[in-house]
Amino acid sequence: MSGLFAVFRSEFRRIFALRPVFSVLIVGSAFYGLFYPQPYLNEALRNVPIAIVDGDGTSVSRELARRIDATSDIAVTMVLPDLVSAEREVFARKIFGILVIPRNFERDLLHGRASPIALYADASYFLVYQRVSGGVAAVARTLGAEVETARLIGIGVDPVLAGAASDPMQLTAVPLFNPQGGYATYVLPGAFVLLLQQILLMGVGLLGTLPGTDPVENATYGPPPGPFATVAGKMLAYLLLEAVILPLYLIALPYFYGLPRLGGVIPVLVFAIPFVLSVSGLGLVVAAIFKRPLPVQLVLATIGMPFFFLAGFAWPTEVIPPAVHEASLLVPSTSAINGFTRLAQLGAPLADVRGEFLMLWELTLFYGGIVWILEVRRRRNARRAAVGVSSREPQIARVV
Amino acid sequence: MLARRHLHPGFWLVFWREIDWLRRRPFLLAFITIVPIGLMALLTMIFSAGLATRLPIVVLDLDSSDLSRSIIRMVDATPDTAVAVRVGELAEGRGMILSGKVHGLLMLPQNLERDVFAGRRPEVVFFYNTQTLTIGNLTLRGVNAAVPTAAAGIRLSLRTAQGQPVEEAQAALSPIPVQSHALFNPTLNYVYFLLAAILPSLLQIVVVTASAYSVGMDVETRYRLRILGRLGGGLWPAMAGKLLPYTIIFLMVLGVSDAVLFSILELPLHGRGWLLDIAGFLFILSCQLLGALLALLLKPTASAVSIGTLLTSPAFGFMGIGFPRLGMNAFAYGFGALLPGTWYLTARIDQTIRGTPLDLSWKPILVLLAFVVGFAGLVAVRLERMRSNAVRDAGSTQAPALSEAVS
Repeated sequence: MSGLFAVFRSEFRRIFALRPVFSVLIVGSAFYGLFYPQPYLNEALRNVPIAIVDGDGTSVSRELARRIDATSDIAVTMVLPDLVSAEREVFARKIFGILVIPRNFERDLLHGRASPIALYADASYFLVYQRVSGGVAAVARTLGAEVETARLIGIGVDPVLAGAASDPMQLTAVPLFNPQGGYATYVLPGAFVLLLQQILLMGVGLLGTLPGTDPVENATYGPPPGPFATVAGKMLAYLLLEAVILPLYLIALPYFYGLPRLGGVIPVLVFAIPFVLSVSGLGLVVAAIFKRPLPVQLVLATIGMPFFFLAGFAWPTEVIPPAVHEASLLVPSTSAINGFTRLAQLGAPLADVRGEFLMLWELTLFYGGIVWILEVRRRRNARRAAVGVSSREPQIARVV
Repeated sequence: MLARRHLHPGFWLVFWREIDWLRRRPFLLAFITIVPIGLMALLTMIFSAGLATRLPIVVLDLDSSDLSRSIIRMVDATPDTAVAVRVGELAEGRGMILSGKVHGLLMLPQNLERDVFAGRRPEVVFFYNTQTLTIGNLTLRGVNAAVPTAAAGIRLSLRTAQGQPVEEAQAALSPIPVQSHALFNPTLNYVYFLLAAILPSLLQIVVVTASAYSVGMDVETRYRLRILGRLGGGLWPAMAGKLLPYTIIFLMVLGVSDAVLFSILELPLHGRGWLLDIAGFLFILSCQLLGALLALLLKPTASAVSIGTLLTSPAFGFMGIGFPRLGMNAFAYGFGALLPGTWYLTARIDQTIRGTPLDLSWKPILVLLAFVVGFAGLVAVRLERMRSNAVRDAGSTQAPALSEAVS
């Protein structure tokens, strides 16, 4: 036990003593927490510029344009004579949609015929397309319903019934957990978990490859700590560090950026324990594979982004090939992004994330076990090299 | 070959030395070839479906009438949504959303059918999870398509009951129909939208960090820099010989990923292939020069690699694919403009799905060219500074240089 504590203390000191590790774990955490969210902080796209090609030029067509311009989604910034010139502006990225109001728009409407309008919206950016098409469709629907009600009243239907006839069954869509459909609210809770994982992986990977990682060498007095004490002591040191950083990322930062949340603090912290331990284990495995600090840095820098798309957050798990999904469960973030967002954002009870919770404990045992076996083997080899071949048998006996 | 290389210091000597060096450092070679290609293969598998269809939702049917059943059938029949389960009460459905099994809940109220035909305008409510924004919006699209279709049937019967002819009633249902066209990506395929943009941003990380690493190895100490200069017969040819092998390898990696995108995933090429190639070449070159510049400015190499990572690994958000740059704050907009990837993606989208006319295609390519010229200029200035420092300290540096070399 004292061996475990000695390892714990020396590893915790190394976090602050080694400059690269300190830069990644402390400076890096602070930097990413402020830098990463910047693109999303405006939450929503507003006033996406579009052009109107008004072939009708009547009061109704102008009313339609005015109402579209009045929505928060869209701004009518150009009125152009034809579709060809409008298309050029789309190619130049000056506008992101074209609304064509055909000739006789008003006349057809007054005659009780369907009077279609055509919308060409830029789908090379999905969020833009969604804004423009959603905004125009909503305005056209409202204006259409008004026209229809007026017509029905015109042919002598009771006004109350006329309203019902144009919209007999209302569909009310209630967005849950992210009522404004904000982009930061959507991306950041998941991204923060991924950032925590990548930063911790890199920190642990560096700690495991920089000089001084072997506690046997460090033991100045007393017996050197055993393999289990070494692995457990290191993991506890990372757990203590994350006991400060993780609440900052998952509780303070979301609060600072004003992200809505329904969950309590305690379930998040309970869920965080196997998350931190499994990531620490994986980090030590990564260190054992790459052996030198620079390769650890290079590989971990590259590999983070794909992990985000594996978590079923931006792209639904249902359409990821099952084999890929199963394999992705080996990375803690796959279960952790899901678990943390459901606990914190959706306010789910711990029982609803037990699958993810257990998976993280399994990963802790799995990676912890690998690191333990590697540690046992490394010592055996080191001692064999030191003592020589003659004392081989007692060595094995002692280890077993 | 070997003998000639040793005889003439210059560009080619450094070039071949670099290739030898890569052969003897399998990690670096793997990092610039197998790692990006492997990650691209993984991402391609993730997005192989292209469209997210039949997303599971849950239905709470409190009416159990012909109307409610036909609404459920229609919701299940849209490509976006699938009715995975039916529940008896709201709490059960809520639990299913919280556990992540379904993305939304459609509630059909009691007496729905009766109230509709009595003109009481009952409410059908769809609760959907917008924590996962895109997925939630897809389920809403499905429900939004299905429920009004069911309502249209009712409106038609309400009108024909009033004695209106069927054709006239049909035209009156939707007085202002919107014919919506999705320009450039008519099927809203995620492969063309997201995957095609993720791959270059992955390459941006690899190129910048690997260049910082490989250049850093040769310029980390003054002693090593002097060796590089001697081998190349001058620092400039040496630097060119050092970078070129990587340029060739990165172009090959980009070629492999583009071959997969264009031939297997059928990404359209509506613009000009040669313009795309120029943009790709300038993109890789500017990323390499950025990496080299970091290595020249920051010692030790580990710091250069760290800063390269800090700049490029969170870059995807700043390049404005998921959340367009149009909606960003000034800082994010400005930082995005400083990333080569932002302009390469613009050029890529122009030449692949958009088919932008030639005269409107030049801006991103010129910006990339400006990056190449600018970064190359800064690299040159920095190299000159380092050389003049070396010359100035020539007398006194012998001892420190040696000690550096030993350490």
